[in-house]
Amino acid sequence: MARFIGKRMLLSLITLVLLSLIVFIGAQVLPGDIGRSILGPLADQRAVDALNERLGANESLVSQYFDWIGGLFTGDMGTSLAFRRPVSDVLGDALVNSLKLAIIAFVIVVPLSILGGVYAALNEGSKRDRFISLGGLSATAVPDFVWAVLLILVFSLLLGIFPVTATAPPGSGFFDQVYYLILPAMCLVFVLFGYIARMARAGTIEALDADYTRTAIIKGLPRRTVVRGHVLRNSLLPTIAVVATQAGYLLGGLLVIETIFNYQGIGQALYRAATQKDFPLLETGVLVVGVVYLVATLIADIMYSVLNPRVRLGGEQ
Amino acid sequence: MGERERRLDEIRTQRSPLENHLIDELRSGHIGRREFIRRGTVVGMSVPLLGLIASACGVSREEIERKDPAQTGTPQRGGTIRAGILQPSGALDPVTVADQGGLGVLGQSGEYLIWSDRDLKAQPRLAESWAPSEGGRVWRFKIRQGVKFHDGTPMDAEDVAATFNRLADPDAGSNALSALGGVLSKDNTKAIDASTVEFQLDAPNGNFPFLTSSDNYNAIILPKDYDGDWEKTFIGTGPWKRSAFRPGEGVSYVPNREYWDKDRIPISDASEVRFYSNEQSEVFGLLGNEVDILVQFSVAGGKALLTDPDIRTIELQASAHRQVHLNNSTEQFKDKRTRQAMALLVNRRDLVDGLLDTKSDFGNDSPFAPVFPSTAKDVAQRQQDVRKAKELLAAAGQEDGFRVQLDGWNGFEMPDLAQLIQQNVRQAGIKIDLSITDAATYYGDATFGNSRWLDSAMGITEYGHRGVPNVLLGAPLLSKGTWNGAHFKNARYDDLVKDYTAAIDLGEQRRYAQQIQELLLDETPILFTYFYYYLTGAKSDIANVDVTAMGHFDLSRTGRVKS
Repeated sequence: MARFIGKRMLLSLITLVLLSLIVFIGAQVLPGDIGRSILGPLADQRAVDALNERLGANESLVSQYFDWIGGLFTGDMGTSLAFRRPVSDVLGDALVNSLKLAIIAFVIVVPLSILGGVYAALNEGSKRDRFISLGGLSATAVPDFVWAVLLILVFSLLLGIFPVTATAPPGSGFFDQVYYLILPAMCLVFVLFGYIARMARAGTIEALDADYTRTAIIKGLPRRTVVRGHVLRNSLLPTIAVVATQAGYLLGGLLVIETIFNYQGIGQALYRAATQKDFPLLETGVLVVGVVYLVATLIADIMYSVLNPRVRLGGEQ
Repeated sequence: MGERERRLDEIRTQRSPLENHLIDELRSGHIGRREFIRRGTVVGMSVPLLGLIASACGVSREEIERKDPAQTGTPQRGGTIRAGILQPSGALDPVTVADQGGLGVLGQSGEYLIWSDRDLKAQPRLAESWAPSEGGRVWRFKIRQGVKFHDGTPMDAEDVAATFNRLADPDAGSNALSALGGVLSKDNTKAIDASTVEFQLDAPNGNFPFLTSSDNYNAIILPKDYDGDWEKTFIGTGPWKRSAFRPGEGVSYVPNREYWDKDRIPISDASEVRFYSNEQSEVFGLLGNEVDILVQFSVAGGKALLTDPDIRTIELQASAHRQVHLNNSTEQFKDKRTRQAMALLVNRRDLVDGLLDTKSDFGNDSPFAPVFPSTAKDVAQRQQDVRKAKELLAAAGQEDGFRVQLDGWNGFEMPDLAQLIQQNVRQAGIKIDLSITDAATYYGDATFGNSRWLDSAMGITEYGHRGVPNVLLGAPLLSKGTWNGAHFKNARYDDLVKDYTAAIDLGEQRRYAQQIQELLLDETPILFTYFYYYLTGAKSDIANVDVTAMGHFDLSRTGRVKS
């Protein structure tokens, strides 16, 4: 197992280096520069040049890239060019916000959709199955911004139950913060439920049809024992992979929901960095999201191997 | 001689020739009350004095100091007032701020020499008075004494001089450099003594006080040893002091009890400025009671506010607009008759009614918006005239029309404006291919040869409000203008703008304005189709919401009205 994890971490490191190179090359084709972005299109070119000089943005991107890489090795993520604050501060705040939202959404959507998918599979072909499958699919098909606006209109403006924003007032306690995050989390639940439940349902149906399940039933084991001991253990394998990939999305891909709910998460920070050519913030932000993706995938792989020894053995062979 | 005449004569003996000329203009009816007050404040006369003169001329002071009926009601003391604005796009540094969110924050704890109010009157703030000499090349400002920065340091003329020399420094990365360029150079602002500052301008400028006012939003007065890290302190001399700053989320303020103007010490216990990343969230914020005031919204984004009975909309006439440039150097638009035809094909009524819900003035293809006192009002308004447009196209050898690309970016109502223009000109066989991108792609490097904005045959560009038209007459239209996407080169125009800029007297400004307006109508390098109003939304129980079309908001007198 240690060798398996070590190998995966080495691959992750290579992936992160490649990721930083892709962002670096991508940043070169973005139009404009940070000075122009801060001062606007109508600013005097002399002022733009002076500001770029002051921010160190006049240096070549290659030089900026190696400065940034060098800084990372000493624990310095650099300074955001647009906000003139340490990248660690800007991203730290955004990451904490994104994590809060992702955890709440995760805690609701994962058990709910797995239970829903398994329940639908156990009742395959019934009205309950169709309700869960079609309902989930329909909810997923509706874009997240539509859900966001709809939920705000109904639960905030019409009924006045939830706030219109996801940002709790300063000094709010744990429960207040959760309260403010319920609506955006519900958007994610609607968007992800159909997808995860569908995977759980398909995996469960496949496992129910498998020879080992049939053998267990023929042996006379109670249905509950068969489902718990034989079906779920195998049926959840593809679902785990799907959930792991959604973890990265939940952390770094929520730009639209963050924007509508006026929430300062990683998605907004990265979008601003990309549009403003804020190189240190963009590179580090993408790397952070990349690390989250890789860690989530690694955890999924470990869980996979625990549930399915063939994967672990394959790795060792 | 009546009492009124005698009083007026007494006043006139103490006034300068320029001020007396202005009084003559009022008495002869060449300018109205409103223009008299606006122009009088620009040349350094106080509002009470102007009221007195107007009264002596037969115009009562009550009529001048009119009250907006929507703003009446006595606000209660105490509580917290919350305003929503767009999130500043970068670090909050008065020298570099260049957006609506940033300027809104600067104006809370910071303060200007002059406050350019909602009626474009120049109200003294840190400057007590000002006056030109040498034909408007030199301006002297009397700086208010007894004013302290929030850290207790006294503010004096040296702080003022340092502030303007910093803004005019090409090496400082100053956003104000584009407004001060060609007007005020670095080190030409000098503190004569502790209470007097002298500005020696590069060329005479009759509207210079506006460049020291809140219109030039970077110009909050900072300590002479300002180190560039404004976010650390939010230092200024204003009526509000920062109590907490939450980057990306907002700023909390408490009243500055040491504020020099006791009448403007805030009546609320605190204020909060909340940041929103987009207009939709701002609108939700106001509708969902997260804020009491939404400092600005558009007709397109804020329709829900316009119809909500609990929201009061404050409309301010402004000079904000969209320019549709026709590149004079292209095959399609090199003939001015083609450009005139384009202007005649556009149905301005449809634009104003359809895009802006009538909350706009008509544009007449020049930067002279109706809101400017210097705009010549008797230049005929251009109307849609398809028949005449077709005749002009035929005369220019374009009777079968032509094909042209219209560049723009996907912001505000601009894509809709592009489509309406596309439909309007189709009736004369002109086919427009739309190329609407994001703002960064449209502006590119913002230099000729590297920018769709400046290189396209036809493009739509947004311009915000200005208190005077000087900047709009310059960079987008002068032969060497750095924003001249129209590639308009006209020596007579350049001379007229120079004369207009130097003119101090309102009558003289209007004479040049008329010539400029007529020249631009004839040449039509740019279509100015409308000047849209500045819209602010406030909860109906909030009184004394003082906003300006520049995007400033003064919450010092704002409070809740007892229900």
